[in-house]
Amino acid sequence: MSFVECRALERTYTRGDNTITPLRALDLEIEQGTFLALMGPSGSGKTTLLNLLAGIDRPSSGELRIDGQEITTLSRAALARWRSVAVGYVFQLYHLVPVLTAYENVELPLLLHDLSRKERHRRTALTLELVGLADRHDHYPRQLSGGQEQRVAIARALVTDPQLILADEPTGDLDAEAAKGIMTLLAALHRDLGKTLVMVTHDPKTATFADLTLHLEKGRLVSPATVGADAPAEGGA
Amino acid sequence: MIRFAPLVTKRLVRQPLRTLLTVVGVAVAMFLYCVVEATQAGVTRATAVVAGDSVLVVYRENRYCPFTSRLPQHYQPRIAQIPGVAHVVPMKILVSNCRASLDVVTFRGVPEQDFLETTLPDFEIVAGSAEAWSHRSDAALVGDALASRRGIKVGDRFSAAGITVYVAAIGRTDELQSRNAAYTHLAFLQEAAQRGGTGGVVTQFNVTVSDPERLDAIAQAIDAEFAADSEPTFTQPEKAFVGRAATDVVEIVGFARWLGWGALAAVFALVANAIVLAINERVREYAILETLGFTGATIAGLIVAEGALLGLLGGGAGAVGAFALLSLQTYSVSMEGVHVEVSAGPSLLLSGLVASIVLSVLAGAVPALRVARGDLAGAFRT
Ligand SMILES: Nc1ncnc2c1ncn2[C@@H]1O[C@H](COP(=O)(O)OP(=O)(O)OP(=O)(O)O)[C@@H](O)[C@H]1O
Ligand SMILES: [Mg+2]
Repeated sequence: MSFVECRALERTYTRGDNTITPLRALDLEIEQGTFLALMGPSGSGKTTLLNLLAGIDRPSSGELRIDGQEITTLSRAALARWRSVAVGYVFQLYHLVPVLTAYENVELPLLLHDLSRKERHRRTALTLELVGLADRHDHYPRQLSGGQEQRVAIARALVTDPQLILADEPTGDLDAEAAKGIMTLLAALHRDLGKTLVMVTHDPKTATFADLTLHLEKGRLVSPATVGADAPAEGGA
Repeated sequence: MIRFAPLVTKRLVRQPLRTLLTVVGVAVAMFLYCVVEATQAGVTRATAVVAGDSVLVVYRENRYCPFTSRLPQHYQPRIAQIPGVAHVVPMKILVSNCRASLDVVTFRGVPEQDFLETTLPDFEIVAGSAEAWSHRSDAALVGDALASRRGIKVGDRFSAAGITVYVAAIGRTDELQSRNAAYTHLAFLQEAAQRGGTGGVVTQFNVTVSDPERLDAIAQAIDAEFAADSEPTFTQPEKAFVGRAATDVVEIVGFARWLGWGALAAVFALVANAIVLAINERVREYAILETLGFTGATIAGLIVAEGALLGLLGGGAGAVGAFALLSLQTYSVSMEGVHVEVSAGPSLLLSGLVASIVLSVLAGAVPALRVARGDLAGAFRT
């Protein structure tokens, strides 16, 4: 059984008489520990798929199992609780909470866990160190560069130690230099911590950091549906 | 939930301008509400006859002002012999201002014997003495509310309504009208007043009945006694009398009640506005929290808590301010020689606080529900 299993996954939106289907009968398996890059033209359904994997959007039909857990049947609150242990999400625009410091942003997900203050502090500091921001605890997001903000966002996604990290164009808003730094960091998470990573990107250079690249077009995969750490590489790498 | 409290407080502290503006707005509205409520409560206390009230006021029929109500002092024994009457105190009233205004001085002239037997026992003398009152013909016993309002001390002479009295004593009492009056010798007032000042004429009789249950029956008996006389009477329980004399004040205050409700609506609108604006700005932020694993219920809790805290801070400041103002200084609206006190008790403070918390929780609840039920993935697409 794969770590991520999508069966006939479909998402449709109805707006008046129009029906849009950004994701169509998608079958996909991802093995644990894979670093997968998703590419495709704008509007091809990349974000839609990522949101389904995170449980922040629901499929119109199909099945979606992650680490053995069927998530399509969970309630909204149960999905939130599941995310707090199982998923870390990194956004293109970082989405840090502006009134909280870097430290407080990273600590945020830990508030949902039954941890002592001391333990929370230990993990928060450790994770900030891991992303190279040990000296930026008290900085507010507006006092950080884009690359640093994204590092904080990655730390926040990582601090609860989830198995699955989802990233939607994490370097999309950064210059080449900062993008490279972020990609090196993500690759290290994958390599050293064994995280399963699914990353959306437009940039082929960014995709080379992944084990595998899949292409979406009009809501369909145009690469083999089964990909794994030791399956033959189809794109990128 | 306690673990999340800093998320709410940090936001309020780190957006000080928004917090300050909202809190000040709520505070002003709540201050207004509390003052209006205190005034309303004062009117109720002064004019609503309650069980146990035992004082009747006998006035000249169809007269409304102390200057025009003139009754022969010799009515006193005739009232006294009516069954159920315990005491009768003839009283000459002289006021510094007959119209509605703040800070009116009311003199009540009473015969010495009635003063000692009936009036004095209602007072606790806090300065000076009853003997000093008896000794001097121009002596006055000043009620504590009047004394503190005017800064009057024993030994002072003070003038109002064209007469000057010597302050022989200051007395504390719960009797609303007595607290705001200065008691003098009847003869002194009759002479000094000069207006219709022949001896033997008084403004009113204050009648104490032995059985409060029979208050109305005795009032009718008194009016029946004098119906055929040249000076017929109109007798009412004291608070009803105050209500009639101060009709204008009662009406204005009744109208002001709308102002109070308006102030509450303002509290609600201010908090709701602050929250709704904040939420619109933060739709994405709450979506991020939910992505991180916060449930809708927790997020709704944060929003409601933020509103409640704003309401508590603002409402608290406003209510405490009103309470401080009204308890440091007693305000009294007077007309026709009767007084309506505006004062605040702890219950006002409490009701102001409760009202602001309840309203702000309500104000936060709707946007909180909207966020908790809103489209999560959609929040990132704007
Ligand atoms: N809430 C929605 N209502 C209607 N249509 C939607 C909604 N969300 C997404 N879509 C549509 O679904 C399609 C796929 O969107 P999606 O965001 O997944 O594309 P994408 O591959 O991430 O594109 P991009 O590279 O520009 O980010 C688009 O045509 C989009 O308009
Ligand atoms: Mg996208």
